[in-house]
Order: sequence, then structure tokens, then C-alpha cells
Amino acid sequence: MADDKPDVARLVDEGAKAIGLPIAPEYRANVILNVERSLMIARPLLEVDLDDELTPGPVFRP
Amino acid sequence: MSARRPVDPLSKAATAAEIARAVSHDKVKATAVVEAALERIAATEPTVNAFTDIVAERARKRAAEVDAGKHHRGPLAGVPFAVKNLFDIEGLPTRAGSKINVDGPRAARDAALVRKLEAAGAILVGGLNMGEYAYDFTGENAHYGPSRNPRDTTRMSGGSSGGSGAAVAAGEVPLALGSDTNGSIRVPSSLCGLFGLKPTYGRLSRAGSFPFVDAFDHLGPIARSTEDLALSFDAMQGPDPDDPVCTHLPPEPTLPHLGEGIGGLRIAIAGDYFARGAEPEAFAAVATVAEALDAAKTVVLPQAAAARAAAYVITAIEGAQLHLPRLRTRPQDFDPDTRERFMAGALLPGAWYVKAQRFRRHYRANVLKVFEEVDIVLAPATPCTAPRLGQTMMKLGGVELPVRANLGLFTQPISFIGLPVVVAPLQRRGGLPIGVQIIAKPYNERAALRVAAFLEAQGVASAPPA
Repeated sequence: MADDKPDVARLVDEGAKAIGLPIAPEYRANVILNVERSLMIARPLLEVDLDDELTPGPVFRP
Repeated sequence: MSARRPVDPLSKAATAAEIARAVSHDKVKATAVVEAALERIAATEPTVNAFTDIVAERARKRAAEVDAGKHHRGPLAGVPFAVKNLFDIEGLPTRAGSKINVDGPRAARDAALVRKLEAAGAILVGGLNMGEYAYDFTGENAHYGPSRNPRDTTRMSGGSSGGSGAAVAAGEVPLALGSDTNGSIRVPSSLCGLFGLKPTYGRLSRAGSFPFVDAFDHLGPIARSTEDLALSFDAMQGPDPDDPVCTHLPPEPTLPHLGEGIGGLRIAIAGDYFARGAEPEAFAAVATVAEALDAAKTVVLPQAAAARAAAYVITAIEGAQLHLPRLRTRPQDFDPDTRERFMAGALLPGAWYVKAQRFRRHYRANVLKVFEEVDIVLAPATPCTAPRLGQTMMKLGGVELPVRANLGLFTQPISFIGLPVVVAPLQRRGGLPIGVQIIAKPYNERAALRVAAFLEAQGVASAPPA
């Protein structure tokens, strides 16, 4: 469904504003490209279902 | 471990062990060894560009002290070595491949592993080129130029410990330290044709090194022989309260076990994810090693593709978080090849990060089940031999993919859960070298090193001809 495709350019523009990260016009296209690549590479992780009981492995020792 | 003819300890073919033996038995002076290394570096650097800092006076002073008996002649007596420039070197800024860090403070003391190697008699000669902030698999660097593959200087050394691979492959030094977050020791070891060790996560101290992704950062050696990996690894082992994830377990020497062969070790080949999406030479290398080890069984590390995705997500988000202040204030001073990737990482959802960390525990449990059935798993180290410098896309298994993101395709799912790996290099007649990962369960570096030593003794794995 074409409507499901995220508007990555908008995500980059608005997200960068929200976290106070200025992105110069000459960097913008590559940032968008890299977010798009991240969406693609992350997919196998996002498709995995995990049990609610599964917590991250702790490493912090007080 | 293979039977070798006596090697001149002043030559570039000499291993760390051979140099240390010669110095310890007064066959050669440490000062002469260091001088020979400095001469090789001066002669080789114009073509290889492995070093960013050479500490000649410090090295000469230390060598004179070793010769004068001021320092205990340890197992690495007189061995010149160099470190990726994310290791602190007293008096120098810790570049971590960047231009920005040069404006920062100079290191007040050497990194923990530099101190440990020098305590064993080794002599630091310099800092090595690397991909900026270690976010790299190529060895390219816009600020300092690429470290070049000595086998073909038009090609990548691999990264991000590119200078470490290039310096050892060119014979400038017999031993270098690198870091490996997603494959940065294993990729240059494969592309330059060297032995490399990425130890178990937390087994070697990272104190005094510039971080990248704390969840995955490892340090380790690159060398011309398995013996040198074991020798240096043993010298660097031990707890360190200065690194919060460093082991509390005492050192377990590996060197005495190198010659034990492969008897009793259950060895299998990684199938599924690790058996597709690469060039034929990567799979041929695994097949050659498997045949030499008489390993026919195939095992599956379940959900390795998701593990690679999770490693990618954690890396992107942790790395971006670390550099966010600099991305805000000095974006123009970043390497263009890292800047926009870091910026993109700052915009990825936090929910992905937490899911990736939760998945990490799940994947670890399942992979450790595989290691109940086998002791060693074999997998390609890189999906191809060294790409050309500047190359941005490559074909893997018929699919066009970005070079930067995919050279670590087979290394990422392993470092993701901190398993120890030795890369065994295969020198291919008429072609470029390529490495095979010898993967063991946590804290079983000994088994991986035994297998690599066996392959070396059989003549299957070797460093490039000097």
C-alpha cells in the first residue's frame, strides 16, 4: 500500500528540529538516504516478536 | 606454529615471538629492532599511509632501557608495535580518526593495553590511521587519507582498524592493536590477509580508548601469526576496574595450548545466513578451512539476519548519541562519510534500540544452545576480497549493495553477543587474500586459537609473504 510508505524527508526535517540538530541543506539528501537504508536494514529486527518477559541483558552493576 | 626457517629479527618477516626470543637471548638489541622498524615505516608510509603518529624518540628511549636491563625482559621483549589512534598515547591527542579530537586534551597516560604490552617488554612506535570515530569498514578517511592495502595499494585495507591491518601486512611492525565494534579487527584482517583476534566482550580492558558503541566495543591484536595473537592476548588479559565491563576473572594463558591440535574439538560450518549473499571466494575459503579441519557438519545460528539488524540499530543510535554535541556544533569538521550516517542515527526511534537490546539477550541464549553441540563455528570474515578505494557499491550474490554497510555482514551477528573470534587468513594464488572467522563460545579464545594454529601448521592459513 503506497500510503504506508513513510515520508522519510519529513521525518528527517521534523525530527532534526525536535532534537535541535541543524542539518545543512548540503547534508540533507544523504541523511534522508541513510535513514531510508536504516529502515531497510532494521526490518528483520522489527519483524521479530519478543515475549513481554524478555528484558535486555543487564550490564550495569551498582 | 609452523616450522619456519630462522628469520632475521631485523627483517619485516620476523614475528613478534621471533623478535622477543632474539632480544631475550641477546642475539639482537632492542634498539636495533626499533631502528629497523622506524626505517621500514619511513620507507613504506608514502605508499601505505598506515601511521598518523610516530613516537620515534619515545621508542628509542624505551628500547635503550630494555637493552640496559631497566625493564624486565618480558615475553614481548623488544617487539615494536603500534595502536589504532583511538588508543590513548601519553602526550598526544587521541584522534579516533577525527579532526575534531585533535583540538581536545592530550592523553595524560597510555591506554591500559599499551601499558600492559609495554610491561611485557614491547615498544610502542606510533598511532595508526583509522576510519573516523570507528564508524567504518573501509579504512578510508577524509582527513588523513586512506590506509592502503599493501597487497594492492589501489584497494581498501578494510576498517575501521585500517592502519592496523596495513602496518602489519606491509611489515612495518609485527603487531598492532585495533578495536572491533562490528568487525573492525576482522574486516582488515581478512582484506589484508592477517591473523586477527576479537576477544570475548569484556575480556580485555578498554580503559584509555576512545569509545564508539559501548555495548559492542572490543579491543584486540592483529599479527602475522597465531603465536603472536596468543602471546599478546595473554599479556593483555586481566581485570581492570577502570573499564566497567571488564572481566573479574583471572587470566587464562592460551599460548601453552596452541600446539594441542584440534583433537576433541567439535567443529561446524555456519549455514543459512552465513552461506549466502557473498562472492564465491568467501565460501571457497570456508570450504578450504572446513576440509583441512575435517568439518562437515553445518549449524544454524538462528535469526542471524535479525542479529545483524539489531547490531546495526544499536550502533547507529549509540554512535549518534555519543557524537550529537559535535554534530550540532562542528558538522563541517566531520568526515562526510560518517557525518550523515551519524545524523541519521540520531533520528531513529528509541523503541528500536530497546527492542534490539532485548533481542540481543534472546539471540545470545539461542546461539549458546548451538555451542552446547559444537566448540567452533566457521564463517566467512568478509563477503569479498578488498574492494577498490573509493568504491561505494558492490555486487554480493548478484545483488548491488553499498560497500560501507555490507563489508561487516558476517562479522556483525557475532560481535553483537561478544563471542571470541580468530580470523585465519588464506593467501590465494594470483588473487587477494580473504579470511575465515573461527568462532568460539565466550571465554574460549583458547579453542579458536588452537584451530588457527593448526591451520597455520598445515599451511592452510598464513600471513602474506614478507
